[in-house]
Amino acid sequence: MNILLREKDIPNIHEYDVYAKNGGFAGYKKALGMKPADVINTVKASGLRGRGGAGFSAGMKWSFIPQTEPVKYVAVNADESEPGTFKDRQIMENNPYQLIEGALICAYAIQAKAVYIYLRGEFWDLGAELDKCIEKAYQEGWLGKNIHKTGWDCDMYTHLGAGAYICGEESALLNSLEGKLGQPRVRPPFPAQKGGGLYGEPTVVNNVETLASVPFILDKGPEEYLKIGTKDSPGTKIFCLCGNIEKPGNYELPLGTTFRELIFDHGGGIPNGKKIKAILPSGASGPIVPATDAVLDTPLTYEDMGKIGTVLGSASIIILDESVDIVWAASKMTKFFHHESCGKCTPCREGTYWLDRVIDRLMAGKGQPNDVDLINNIAKNMVGVTLCALGDFAANPILSTIKHFPEEFKAYAQAQAGIEEKKTASPAARTAKGNEPGTPQGRAGRHSPATSTPAGD
Amino acid sequence: MANTVKIYIDDQQYDVPAGMNLVDVAKFYADNDIPVFCYHPKMEPVGMCRMCLVEMGTVQRDQNTKEMLFDDAGKPQVRWMPKLQTACTQLVSDGLVIRTGTKVVEDARRNVVEFLLTSHPLDCPICDKGGECPLQNLTMEHGPGTSRMYFNDKLKLDKHVPLGDLIYLDEERCIQCARCIRFQDEIVGDDVLAFNERGRALQIITNSEPGFDSYFSGNTTDVCPVGALTTADFRFNARPWELSSVPSICPHCPVGCNTTLNTRLDRDSGGRAVIKRVMPRQNEEVNEIWICDKGRFGHHFTNSGDRLKEPMVRSASGNLNVTSWGEALQAATDKLKAAGSDVAVIAGSMMSIEDLYTVRQLANGLGSTRLGAWTPTHAGADIVAQVGVGKGTNLSKLGKGDAILVIAADLEEEAPIWRLHIKQAKDRGAYVVVANARPTRMDDFASHSITYKSGTAVDALVHLDADIAKKLQEATNLIIFAGAEGLTLDGSRALMQAAANFLIESGHVGKPNNGLMATFPGANAMGLYYLGYTPETTREIANKPPKVLIVAQAEILEDDPTAAQWLDKVETIITLSLFPDDTAHKAAIALPIQSFAERDGTFTNGERRVQRFYTAQGPMGEALPAWQILSRIGERLGQGRAKLSAAAVMLEITQEVPAFANARYSELQKVVKQFPLVGREDLYYGGTAYDNKGGLGVQIPTAADRGETVAPGSVTTPAAPKTKKGQLLVVPAVRLYNRETIFQPSALELMAPRIPQPYAEINSADAKTMKIKDGDMVQIAVENAQPVRVRAHVNGGAPAGTVVLPRHLMPDATTPLAISVGQVSKVEG
Amino acid sequence: MTLQQKYTERIEKALAKYPDKRSAVMPVLHIAQEEYGWVSPEAIIEVAEICDMDPTQVKSIAGFYTMYSKHPKGKYWLQVCTDLPCALRGADQFYQELLDYLGVEDHGTTTDGLFTAEHVMCLAACDKAPMLQCNFHYQESLNMEKMKSLIEEWRAEAQKK
Ligand SMILES: Cc1cc2nc3c(=O)[nH]c(=O)nc-3n(C[C@H](O)[C@H](O)[C@H](O)COP(=O)(O)O)c2cc1C
Ligand code: SF4
Ligand code: FES
Repeated sequence: MNILLREKDIPNIHEYDVYAKNGGFAGYKKALGMKPADVINTVKASGLRGRGGAGFSAGMKWSFIPQTEPVKYVAVNADESEPGTFKDRQIMENNPYQLIEGALICAYAIQAKAVYIYLRGEFWDLGAELDKCIEKAYQEGWLGKNIHKTGWDCDMYTHLGAGAYICGEESALLNSLEGKLGQPRVRPPFPAQKGGGLYGEPTVVNNVETLASVPFILDKGPEEYLKIGTKDSPGTKIFCLCGNIEKPGNYELPLGTTFRELIFDHGGGIPNGKKIKAILPSGASGPIVPATDAVLDTPLTYEDMGKIGTVLGSASIIILDESVDIVWAASKMTKFFHHESCGKCTPCREGTYWLDRVIDRLMAGKGQPNDVDLINNIAKNMVGVTLCALGDFAANPILSTIKHFPEEFKAYAQAQAGIEEKKTASPAARTAKGNEPGTPQGRAGRHSPATSTPAGD
Repeated sequence: MANTVKIYIDDQQYDVPAGMNLVDVAKFYADNDIPVFCYHPKMEPVGMCRMCLVEMGTVQRDQNTKEMLFDDAGKPQVRWMPKLQTACTQLVSDGLVIRTGTKVVEDARRNVVEFLLTSHPLDCPICDKGGECPLQNLTMEHGPGTSRMYFNDKLKLDKHVPLGDLIYLDEERCIQCARCIRFQDEIVGDDVLAFNERGRALQIITNSEPGFDSYFSGNTTDVCPVGALTTADFRFNARPWELSSVPSICPHCPVGCNTTLNTRLDRDSGGRAVIKRVMPRQNEEVNEIWICDKGRFGHHFTNSGDRLKEPMVRSASGNLNVTSWGEALQAATDKLKAAGSDVAVIAGSMMSIEDLYTVRQLANGLGSTRLGAWTPTHAGADIVAQVGVGKGTNLSKLGKGDAILVIAADLEEEAPIWRLHIKQAKDRGAYVVVANARPTRMDDFASHSITYKSGTAVDALVHLDADIAKKLQEATNLIIFAGAEGLTLDGSRALMQAAANFLIESGHVGKPNNGLMATFPGANAMGLYYLGYTPETTREIANKPPKVLIVAQAEILEDDPTAAQWLDKVETIITLSLFPDDTAHKAAIALPIQSFAERDGTFTNGERRVQRFYTAQGPMGEALPAWQILSRIGERLGQGRAKLSAAAVMLEITQEVPAFANARYSELQKVVKQFPLVGREDLYYGGTAYDNKGGLGVQIPTAADRGETVAPGSVTTPAAPKTKKGQLLVVPAVRLYNRETIFQPSALELMAPRIPQPYAEINSADAKTMKIKDGDMVQIAVENAQPVRVRAHVNGGAPAGTVVLPRHLMPDATTPLAISVGQVSKVEG
Repeated sequence: MTLQQKYTERIEKALAKYPDKRSAVMPVLHIAQEEYGWVSPEAIIEVAEICDMDPTQVKSIAGFYTMYSKHPKGKYWLQVCTDLPCALRGADQFYQELLDYLGVEDHGTTTDGLFTAEHVMCLAACDKAPMLQCNFHYQESLNMEKMKSLIEEWRAEAQKK
């Protein structure tokens, strides 16, 4: 059932006319005939949970906006930077008007002055296309002054980031939009509160997929939405399936679908006759789970993921087959967080760097027997004490891989330098220089550690 | 009053004011030091370093009654938050509960310190902050004993990055707390520092042109909790534990910042105790915990080799010869005796109260009351004594509902810390109006800027735009800062009177945070007034030169090129000075005096606060305190026994001069517990500022404070000088960094590059008619004085019809004292 | 010609999006980079003027984000994703082959100044690995064969101009 990826059923739904002909803007039109508070209640009743990661009730979030404040904003989180996530991009490429419609329903519900769509900077071409769609929406009277004679004005703009995972964190996103450093803010005040949002005004920040789910709810009613999925996780969700999988891609399925169904019925199973080893259900930031039968039969819902010690997050599901070296995978993820830590708070800034150094040394065969305990402890010390959740995210790949695959770490830690080139069965010969992507840009010399290693792999 | 709330810290209940920061409250009320790195009591919390994590919760309340719930033992029932919380980002509210001494909290602190140290170079033995380093101290207290980070894994970064000429950055030591960045942004309003890159690569940069060049840059080295920022002055100069700390007062401007002079016995200075650095000392009502860079780095004059070191007397052949004190004092005594009452004094505002009193006594004893104040540029100190800012004024309390008017002054240059206060008052919501004939930096902090024609400040104030006037009049509190830029001496008096009238008529006198402030130059200009020295008398002295003139630390010739004409008519000049300046060269007797750092004394600042400074360094040569010299001459003249200490002089002053009745040293050195508690051993809290142990001073009440009726006076607007065709008004302007005599070449190492090349601002329209381009050399000729040659700046800094000529930028020739008429022409060069 | 003159319309449009000028710093930096190929010191000054900011703040913003290049780049800036999902599908090997083919080191630029090769973090195209971005345009589901023909295409394109 495709509520979001409707292009799979309706060709060319990215075109305005096609979208309009197929029920487009019906939800918005309905909303415009309702009292804003009723729109919020409708969304609340649908049980829609945020698709950006935390799974917080969308309607609830909207209801936090103090209506007495004259200026309010909506910020659409289209930063989509979690490794393994590529769903928002598909929605915006193939069904852009539905995002626009959903964002406008939200804007109307909180009586926002403007909507900013924060796109990750790499969505350069997509941004240009979206601008055209927004232009069209203005022409059709869905945006602008006195929309549908409700007396409410609203504008919509796109904003391109420039390469920073942290700008997907909502308060960093707002800072970035304001032209400040994309570092998270202290909360409270939360974005929905006075002082916490965009330019200090109350602001709803929602993920693209969250908002794109809203038109259906308004159009068909919350009851229809509640019929899909489970009680605590209603509706459909796009599962991004990637890694060692036969048919990688986005699959929109009701929440409650099991891993097994997703991976084998929809994703075509593991290529080359290999066995599945482990799953990262939420990209790099959620804990890894070994692909046991029990895990494979777990329904993909917010509540059930907790039971197997992980999170649903944005459902960016990375599959690792039996040949994958878990320590290598952990090091890839550690590099990611080291690279993306904004540097604002101590445990994350220093911890991600330190983890990266130790794991490099492990991978280089220069590990010490207690290095595994060390990284486990460093990661543990990062949990729960950082300014934003990135610090916790960065600890997850270490803590969960050590927890589930301790022998693999031990093997590295015991390998003495030079004795044995590790039995890496990882998919590719890892490049010697493939360590520090992006930023260092020529300043590597200045900022690299004294040892000339990161080498190793 | 703020309402109080109940909070619980480590099971103890405290009643504290609502809405205050938890770290501040714990420290001030519970004596509980929550460790911090990024938090600073003067800046907005950012929650970055995570050092202040505590267990936090709230007392549960009854659903219906909303009353707090307690268990049988009377302990509050607490709902704890699942994670540790940063205390620095928390305001106290009723029922807040924290625990600071538990294992989880201790672990968190240890972990944060360990994380910080992973990247830290641990080069304490060569670090200037070693011994007064928050990171060192908090590591001792909370950190792990051993390192788990491989030394070779540490980042290797630049250790000597000059951010400007004055401040150096060690990138390895920086712990990314952003205090320096936030100081520049929030407190100064000059956001020239920022982070570059991100994550562990985060580092402090500046990209401004020239480099980090704020007037307040030195304060960043105080707030820096590690040795990442150091001053060019103190770098590798001494170890903090070798230093003695002596409370002092900055001698440079009317703000009167409280400072601490750190001294050390120094081989290079012949074993004398000399100043190694100047640090701020907390006085919340004066400078909080800040000082400007002139105050911090401008101390080298006290140890300049160019100081006048021995008394000199002019011989029959006309040469000034070194002599003994005995002979010099006798020579002075003889001259004064011979002159009888035909004696006058001109004193500068770096003289202490004790000096000024003693020289006055000397003159009075001879039958003279001719006491002139130098420089004779600003009149109206008597008006300030009537309606100056009320006792208890605290500029850092001004905010929403309050208003400030700044007129004919550029506070950034004339009184930098006042400007800092105004910036922050504006941020807190105060209504700030800046009126001047030309654009100044103050406009950046103005709600409204008013531009008037040069010389017409009085009219501008009298005929203020009705809306603006109304807003000022209706403000809860109103302070007017008046300068004398573009005014003659009479003009300046008229402006002060007009300002006083405005304040009196709108009811803004006689109470704290209301009244008049003047930018009288120097640290003790109000002291001059209270002891009877006036600029009008100076003018009178110039018009009718006396037989003997005592020039007490007044650089007459450096300040006024035309003064030579009347000085030549004085038979005998006796100078007391730090340097063999031009006036001293004219003298019959030139006596070396001690600088503020070498002796005890008091200054009265612009807010009429009498403040003490203490002897910090060994005397230069044979120099003596001015009061002692004068007192000894008095003895020789038979005026009574010479005083033996500054304290004895002050004791007499308190009895003889009503304004100083309450200014006994014992009163001046009293200290009350100030909020926040900055400057104690816990250096991590407010930075390396000093706790105030030298006294907060005593404010002299105004007539309005004393409840006397103060009535508006009549304002006679003197006509501005008229220019003929081809002439321009020459407006002298004050620059913070200039070539005044205390900045002798040998004292200039740090200041010299900061002092602009001599220039004059010329309006672009005038420049066009005169065919002058930006950067051209021009000659400015003012009546009676040597023409001045400077570069023309044609960039909007001067209003039409005027040249703005900054004072003291030329090594020799100088600018006219007040607004005058000049001829400007282009010259080669 | 200054940015302000050359891109008046785009800059105006960017400024019009926000209630204050500073917020336009990211779009204006993008424009500056497009013009100069990187965020040069001159670009920083120009952007600072347009957005009414201290140049230090502009440099800081440019420094935070990886898409603003702090050094001159080749005409074609190839950014290959080698993050975990792509690496599981051979991206590391693909990147190494690309480097070898171009004859450059990681982060290197070809001697003719045409190509700079870099590897970057996840670009939200994990299902189409290996992939890269060339001057921020996606090229997906690549192999070396496809890559070579793309490079030749770009070479030819560059020669034409
Ligand atoms: C480090 C970090 C990165 C994040 N990245 C994204 C992102 O790329 N896209 C997104 O929608 N939410 C992201 N989030 C979650 C947002 O902070 C926020 O919860 C979300 O936008 C709320 O929208 P929702 O309620 O619709 O899910 C991120 C959070 C963190 C802590
Ligand atoms: S946890 Fe990491 S990303 Fe989040 S604020 Fe701290 S340093 Fe920045
Ligand atoms: S986080 Fe509270 S002091 Fe730094």
